[in-house]
Parts: sequence; C-alpha cells; structure tokens
Amino acid sequence: MTYILNRLLSVILTLFLITLVTFAVTNILPGDVAMMIMGTQSNPEALAGLRESLGLNDPLLVQYGRWIGGMLSGDWGNSLIFKKPIAELLAQKAVASAIIVVMSMTIALAMAVPLGVWAAVHRDKWQDTVSSTSALMGVSLPDFFWGIVMILVFARWLGWFPSSGFVEPSVDFMGTLRHAFLPSLALGLGLMAHLTRMTRSTMTGILSQEFIRVARAKGLSERTVIWRYALANAIGPVITIAGLQIGYLFGSIIVMEFLFSYTGMGWLTYQALLNRDLPLIQATVFVIAAVVMLTNLAVDLLYVVIDPRIKLG
Amino acid sequence: MKRFLTTKGLIGIILLTVIGLIAIIGPMVIPAEAGTAMDMTARRSPPSLKHLFGTDQLGRDLLIRVILGARTSLQIAVSAVVMSIVLGLPLGLISGYFGGRIDNVLMRLVDTLLAFPALLLALTISAVLGPNVQNTIIAIGVAFTPFLARIIRGEALRVAQMPYVEAARSSGTTDSMIMVRHVLPNILPAVIVQGTISLAFAILAEAGLSFLGLGTQPPAASWGLMIQASRDQLDIAPWTALVPGLAVARTVLGLNMFGDVLRDILDPRSK
Amino acid sequence: MKRRDFLRNSTAVLGGGFAGANLPMALWAQDTPVSGGTLIWGHSETTQNLDMHQTGTASSGRVLQNIHSSIVTVDTDLNVIPGLCESFEVAPDGLSYTFKLRPNVKFHNGAVMTSADVKYSFDRCKDPATGAVNFEVFNSVAAIETPDDLTVIIKMSAVNAPFLSRLAENGAGVVMPVDSGPTQGTNPMGAGPFKFVSYEVGTVVKMARHEEYWDGPAYLDAVEAREITEPTTRLTGLRTGELHMINDIPLDRVGELEGDAALQVKKWFPLNFDFVNMNHTFEPFQNPKVRVAFDMIIDKEALMQGALWGQGATTASPSFPTSASYNKDLTQRPQDIEGAKALLAEAGYPEGTLNIVFKATTNYPYHVESAQILVEWFKAAGVNLTIEQLTWADWLSQCWVDKDYQMTMMNFFTLWEPDFLYYSVWNSTGAFNYRAVKDPVIDDLTAKARITVDDAARADIYKAVQKQIWDESHDIILWFRNGTIGAQTKVMGLDTVVHPNGSNLNFHKVWLQA
Repeated sequence: MTYILNRLLSVILTLFLITLVTFAVTNILPGDVAMMIMGTQSNPEALAGLRESLGLNDPLLVQYGRWIGGMLSGDWGNSLIFKKPIAELLAQKAVASAIIVVMSMTIALAMAVPLGVWAAVHRDKWQDTVSSTSALMGVSLPDFFWGIVMILVFARWLGWFPSSGFVEPSVDFMGTLRHAFLPSLALGLGLMAHLTRMTRSTMTGILSQEFIRVARAKGLSERTVIWRYALANAIGPVITIAGLQIGYLFGSIIVMEFLFSYTGMGWLTYQALLNRDLPLIQATVFVIAAVVMLTNLAVDLLYVVIDPRIKLG
Repeated sequence: MKRFLTTKGLIGIILLTVIGLIAIIGPMVIPAEAGTAMDMTARRSPPSLKHLFGTDQLGRDLLIRVILGARTSLQIAVSAVVMSIVLGLPLGLISGYFGGRIDNVLMRLVDTLLAFPALLLALTISAVLGPNVQNTIIAIGVAFTPFLARIIRGEALRVAQMPYVEAARSSGTTDSMIMVRHVLPNILPAVIVQGTISLAFAILAEAGLSFLGLGTQPPAASWGLMIQASRDQLDIAPWTALVPGLAVARTVLGLNMFGDVLRDILDPRSK
Repeated sequence: MKRRDFLRNSTAVLGGGFAGANLPMALWAQDTPVSGGTLIWGHSETTQNLDMHQTGTASSGRVLQNIHSSIVTVDTDLNVIPGLCESFEVAPDGLSYTFKLRPNVKFHNGAVMTSADVKYSFDRCKDPATGAVNFEVFNSVAAIETPDDLTVIIKMSAVNAPFLSRLAENGAGVVMPVDSGPTQGTNPMGAGPFKFVSYEVGTVVKMARHEEYWDGPAYLDAVEAREITEPTTRLTGLRTGELHMINDIPLDRVGELEGDAALQVKKWFPLNFDFVNMNHTFEPFQNPKVRVAFDMIIDKEALMQGALWGQGATTASPSFPTSASYNKDLTQRPQDIEGAKALLAEAGYPEGTLNIVFKATTNYPYHVESAQILVEWFKAAGVNLTIEQLTWADWLSQCWVDKDYQMTMMNFFTLWEPDFLYYSVWNSTGAFNYRAVKDPVIDDLTAKARITVDDAARADIYKAVQKQIWDESHDIILWFRNGTIGAQTKVMGLDTVVHPNGSNLNFHKVWLQA
C-alpha cells in the first residue's frame, strides 16, 4: 500500500515537472503566431495589437501562472488558430487517436505474438532468424516511409482504403475504422519488432520451466502446450511491454496523422507546432506527456498485481 | 567468440562491416562535389550503366549520394548516441549506485523527460537551435539521454548489490573508486548493447527530422534527406526511395541483429 | 474535338495570357449544365483568417472569393467593371466617385444590400482598429455619403489614382452586411454565390449555394474545400476519386496528369511571381555591384526548368503580364559566371570570401529545389551558399518580421494592381518591404503615380520603377508560375473558375456531370 501511495505522490510531482518542462520548451520555440494568423500581407499595427491581446508580451512567470491556474480551474484557454476552447478540441481529437492507438497495438500484437512464439519454439534455428528478420523489417525504415507505401498500395493501386481523412465515429463507425486502418497498419509495423523480441524471450523462459515439462509428460499435444499453457503465462509481460510502447507510439502518430490528414491528437500537435499556437502546443504536449506517464504507471501497477514476486519499494 | 557465429550474428557482422567500410572509404575516393553534381538532362533516370542506381529529381547520381550519405548518416547516429551515453552514464551511474534520495530526485527528472516522446523532444530542440548537422546530433543525443540513463541506472542498481561491491565498500574503498573500478566495467556490456540498438533508432530519428525539414540540410547527401526527397515520387521513380531506403534498412537490420547477439552474449540475465 | 484536346489546346499558356479563362459558354453547348452535387476540392493550403478585411493570405482569399462580392471587379484584361454596383462614375477632378448599386442584392442572411452596408464595409476597412490589410486604400477618403439606398458617393481629400482598381480586390471592395464585422472572422457573410457553412481549421471549409445570389444561383449544391497540404496525398486523392479536383498539381506531375485520359488539367498563367531576395541591411548587399553580380550568376531559364519543371515563364518585370504597366523592354541578365566573378572582385569580394546563408521555406518545395540548384552556380562563382530550410511560421517570423536573413526567395499572389505591387513591395515605407530596400528614386516614383490620374502616364511611371529595380538589382525577378487545376472529367465549367487575378477560384458556374 505504501508503495502505491508513494507512486501516486511521485506522479503528482512528475506531473508538476512535466508542466515546467512543457512550458519552458514551448516558450523557447522561435516563431510568431500573430504573423501566422494574419498572413504576410498584413499591417504592422494590427500585428502588434494582436500580440498584445494574445498576452504574448506578458512576463513568462505571469504567463506560466495564468496557464497553470487556468488548467487547474478547468479552463484550458482557447486555441489561437482554431479559435475554439482547447478542452473541446482535445476531447474531440483524443477519440480519433485512441482509435488509432488501439488499432495499431492490436495489429502489432496480432503479428508479433505468433512470430515471437514461432521463434521461441524453434530457438536458434532458421525459423528464429526468419522471424526476427521479418519483425525487424518494420522498424528498419522510418514509419512515414511505410505510410507512403500503404497509401500507394492500398489506396491508390488496390483502392481498398481511403488515402486520407477522418470520419467521426458517431457519423459512420465503419468509415472511421476504414480511415484509421492504413495509418494503424503503418504504425503497427514499427511497433511489432520490439514486441516480437519480447514475446520470443518471454516464451523461451517459460518453455524451459517445470510446468511445461509436466504438461508435455502428461501427453498433451504440443499445440495445446504452447498456445494454451505457455502463451497464457507469457501474455502478461508482453502486454506490459506493449503499454510501455505508448510513448514511442505517441511520437510516431505526430508524423503519421499528418501524412494521412487524420485529425487526431498527433495531427493537432503538429498543427499547433507548425502554426506556433503556443497555448495549444502547451496543452497537447502536456496531455501527451501525462498520458505516457500515466500509462507507464498503470503498467507498473499492473505488473505488481500480475507478478507478486516483484519486490515492492 | 563462437556465439557470434550464429546465422543472425554473422549476417549482422557482415552487414555492419560492409556499411562501415563504405562510410569510411567512400568519401576518400569520391570527391564531395560529385554528390551534388546535377544533370538536368537525366532527371529521375532509372538505373542504367551510366547511373547504376539511377538519378534523383535533380539528376544527381544516387549511387554516389548513397555512398556519401553513409558517412553523414552514420556520423550523426554515432555522435548522437555517444553524446547520450556521455550524458546518461554519470546520471544513471550515480543514481543507481547511491540510491535513496539522490536516486529519487534524478529519476523523477528522468521520468519526466521520458514522458515526452523522443521525436517531440528532438523536434523542439532542433526547431530552437536551427537546422544543421551539429544541431541534429545535439537534438537526437539529448532526446535519447533519459532512456539511456534509465537503463544504466537499472544496471548500476543491480551491480551495486553484488557481493564484490559490498566487499570493496567494507574495505574502505571510496565510492568514486568503486564506481569506476567495479561498477562501470560490469555495466559496460549492457551499455554497449543498448548503444548498438540506439544507433538504429538514431538513424531513423535523423530520417524523421529530415522528413519535417529539421535534419540535415540540402544539398548535402544523407540517407534521411534522400528518403524525404523521394517521398512524392515513390510511384513514378521508386528507385529514388529504394536506394536510400535499402541502405537504411540494411544498416538498421545489421545493428539490431548484432545487438541481439551481443545481448545474448553479454547480458548475464538473458543466459 | 474531344474535350480533353480542347482543354489542352486552349491552355497552351506560356506567355499566352489568360487562355481558357473566359471562353463563351456556347462552346459547351452539347453539355447543358445541371444543378446539384457537392464538389470536393483538395485545397493545397490551409485557410487562415476568415475575415476578408484582415486576411492577408492567398489561401484564404481563394476560398472567400466564393462567399464575398465586391463593389467593382475586373475583366480578364484587368479593366475595372461593375460588381455589386450597376455603374460607377469618377468626377473629372478625381475627387469624387459615385456608385449606383444593383437593386435587390441579397446577403446570405436574407437582408437586401443598401448603401448603408457599403458605407459600413468601407468604414470598417479604413478603421485602423480593424487591422485591415488594405486600410490605406481609404487614406484619402474624406467622406462616404449615402443620399439614397442605392447611391454611394465617396469624396476624396486628395487624388488617389489607383483607388478604383484597388476596390476590385475583395480585401478592399468587399461589401458586408451592416454590423457583421465582429463575426466575420468566425462566420464570414457576404453576397457571394456560396454561403459559409463551417470551418474545421486545417481540415475543411464547407460552403452551400446561396439561392438568391444576384447573378443567378450556382449549379453546385455545396463545395467542400478539404485542406490537404501534402502533395502526394492530394494527388492520390484525385486519382482514387475521393476528390473531384485539386489545385496546385505538384509541378513535376503536371505532364503526367495531362497524359491521363481519366483526368483533365487546367493551366493558366500566371499564378504568382517569384523573386530572389537579398537583405539590403546585410553589408555585402548594400553594394549594387554585388547584387548585380548575383543576378548574373543565375540562369533563370535553367532554374525555371529545374525547379518548376517548365511550368512557368521567366520575366524581368513583376508586373502582371497583361497589364498596361508591364515593361516589355526589360530583359533578364544572362548567366555570366566570369563576369560576376570580376564584378564581385571589383566590389571587394574575391573568390571564396563570401559565405551566405540562404533561407528557403518548406512551404514551397520548389523554393528548396531552386536553392539547391543555386548552390552549384554560386559555388562556380566562388560564393559559398548554405541552405537553411524553414517552416512557414519560422520563415514569416525570421525573414518577414525580423528581417533576420541574408538571402531568401519568395512569391506573391494577386498583386496585379501596380500601386499595390510597387508601393507595398519596393517603397521604403511599403508594408511588404522585408528586404529594407531604400531607393529615393522608387520612393518618388511610387508616390507620384498615386496622384497621376492619366492612365498612360501612370503606366509609364511604373515602367520606370521596374527599370530602376532592374538597374539596381534590388531583387532578382525570376518568373511567373503557372496555376494548375487537376479534376475528374465530370467536373464541368472549369474554364470559369479562375479569377482574373490568377489566384482566386470561383465555383459559381462549375457543375458536376450526373
């Protein structure tokens, strides 16, 4: 219990540190949002006025205080380019990204687990090499590259999936899934290498354990032993690793959602960065960091629950 | 040595040796000007006897550029990873060895940084410093530091509890002496393994930054930049993407395979 | 003649002015326009500010052209013609303008346009608090009188020769309903052929037909302008049929689309002009010899072929090619590397002593390609050029606002009106003078043009301005770039879509084949 309390305390501390880092980092970014809003052919007085009214001229400490105060009271402010409450934008885009995160994770696991199991069963044989090589193919090229390949193959040539865009799930749920599929597949390819490797090493460990030998001795078929007994024990650690990949995934969706004009959190973050929309950059970066941190925490706690052998403290 | 001689280890070693040799010897025999020389009469020409790997959208020879690019890309990746080790090693070592309050404070910081996706950090740093080769190295190096510090800390924590460290401590050896003499050599294998795999990620990160215009600047030859430039001609001139793409893929594959084998050999827990 | 061949022939454009932009509808007799359908347009850029007075970007103007109408407009020869007015009259002394408004023009909110709306709109544009791009158009306006609902009389305190033609751009001449100002940024409303429906920033602008448009309702039920900035994605969307049309076909792919029977390509000339900029506050560029030498290093035709894949035409003058003020006597300096070297040495910069950073924005990929070609030529002339790529936001703040650059490259859309062009870009107090050009000759000439009523005399003054820019090589004028639209063959009436200013698109007469 103390362990969990300690963890929660440190979460609050880390969240605070995240706000500090976010604020510091976003404020040293070059660029001028007033200019982005008004465009090149705008007049200087109007620009100066806009900067003043956006509060861009206040001291940094004042801006930080205003930001934290606003967030705590539930007022996340307005996006400068979207001219909408940030909280509303985040809620809307988070759904889109949640779909992509879940879908790409599912795709990655669906490819990685069989590959990893196959490699573990045939450890150090040719199957092992084939498995790890094909798993590594995904991570051997930048994920935006896979994205472009997906667009060409599945949208342009085969015409199976739309090449870009997003549809609200409330409007057309199947449409949402169709739009999410190609970016998820490209992301899944990048994720699966590590998951395959983890499945392989966990399975290798489990397959050498006593209860597997007992199961085999009982005359159970090899298939049952591997898929029913061994995998059931390996899946926990593998899912834990999947959880830890969330941080990597959130980095990748920035480029991927941009490429597919898929309007989720990554797209929002990139738009904010591109347009130097400071309040929005701060909010998206903070939310992404907080989600990553909380996922890591959940994984840690889950680990404690699943595996009582972990030393607490 | 014998354990290197698995299929995987062999492939990894061969791939890396070839690429390393290309990166070192290539720029010695090919003048840098050849990498930017344009032939507007031969834009996007497919592989032929004149241009073995074809040319890009400005009529530059892709074989020459991919060879020169090896040096740029590896230089960035190696420097960035060395930098993250140099920064992460003391952090992780001190944190893991002393534990307690120091560990708590340092790891809070590292956890905080770890919560930011590395690409996001690198993107921001690069945007602040301005785009060029040095700043790309700094951006990737800093972005990778928390991750390495985390790994090193875990290793240091494990080694610090070993009997021989306890023994050294009780015999009155100073902490800094123990860290350098006993802890460091024992965590080095893990650092090398992690460094090898990080190299692969650094090469991809360079490509990612270049995709967004923040990495190496044109007309220099770097694999990331070449892939970036090829992205809107993949359907009409696939070789412009395949040439740098395969170069990256081969290197990353080689590093990962080599890293896996290294891990099997060096990492005591995986035995 | 097959439609595709016809389109291709009618748009063989190099130097050809506005081929295809204004052909009589009779040519299409076999196709009777039908109403209905939503046009899905893959827009190449992100719309920024929706307030017609405040917006300063071509991307917003391109969309808003469908929502707004101006009091006057221009024909394809850039003559000012009535828009929301039936007629206009300029007093012989140039000190008063009388507009007779069209009766029964309906705004999107159903209200009928009156002189009060015109007065409100012009007052709003003039008010510095509005932050209008074109506020200075109204600088010499002394009073706006509205004797009756359909008459507007504008009294000037001094002659302002370009006044009428400046009103032909929506940014100045737009008529909005009284008191709609505060909501124009979020819900633009005017008297154009389409009503604004919604905007998701960076995603899509939706517009629906305005049934009571004064010039007859549009054929299309609605237009959806999807913002897809990635060229490959835009092209793929057109090929898969997800999009009906796209603007700005990637330059290297125009030829390929033209050869595709499933698609039609519309080209026009010009979309915009491009020039290489030298920062006049950077010491070497204060010496005209250096600027001229730099001009001599560049082979403009080769650069155009290289960066634009031939989709444009080189020019020594930035004046709109069909306008009266275009100085035909100017020719670009031919490439002369040896001559440039000698000139640079004379200026005190012998081979290998000049190191210049060239900032190019990734917002225009062909700028980055141009820069790479320039590097090679400058290397041959002993000048070391280093490229720095900037995002659009960074380019705007570093180059445009802070003037923190040595060399860069930019383009301008819709500056067909010579006063707007030369005063803003080259006058030392001009709003777009981000190179800090300070030339008393140009300052005098541009001021003089404003009070010269005679059209021919005014055109001559602008020709002199162009000569001065060329003589001093203040900037290196490169080319006019072609505008391009790629569309499915069922999109009809594409020859009516481009506004004479070369940048705006208007879907009033576009229709979809069933």
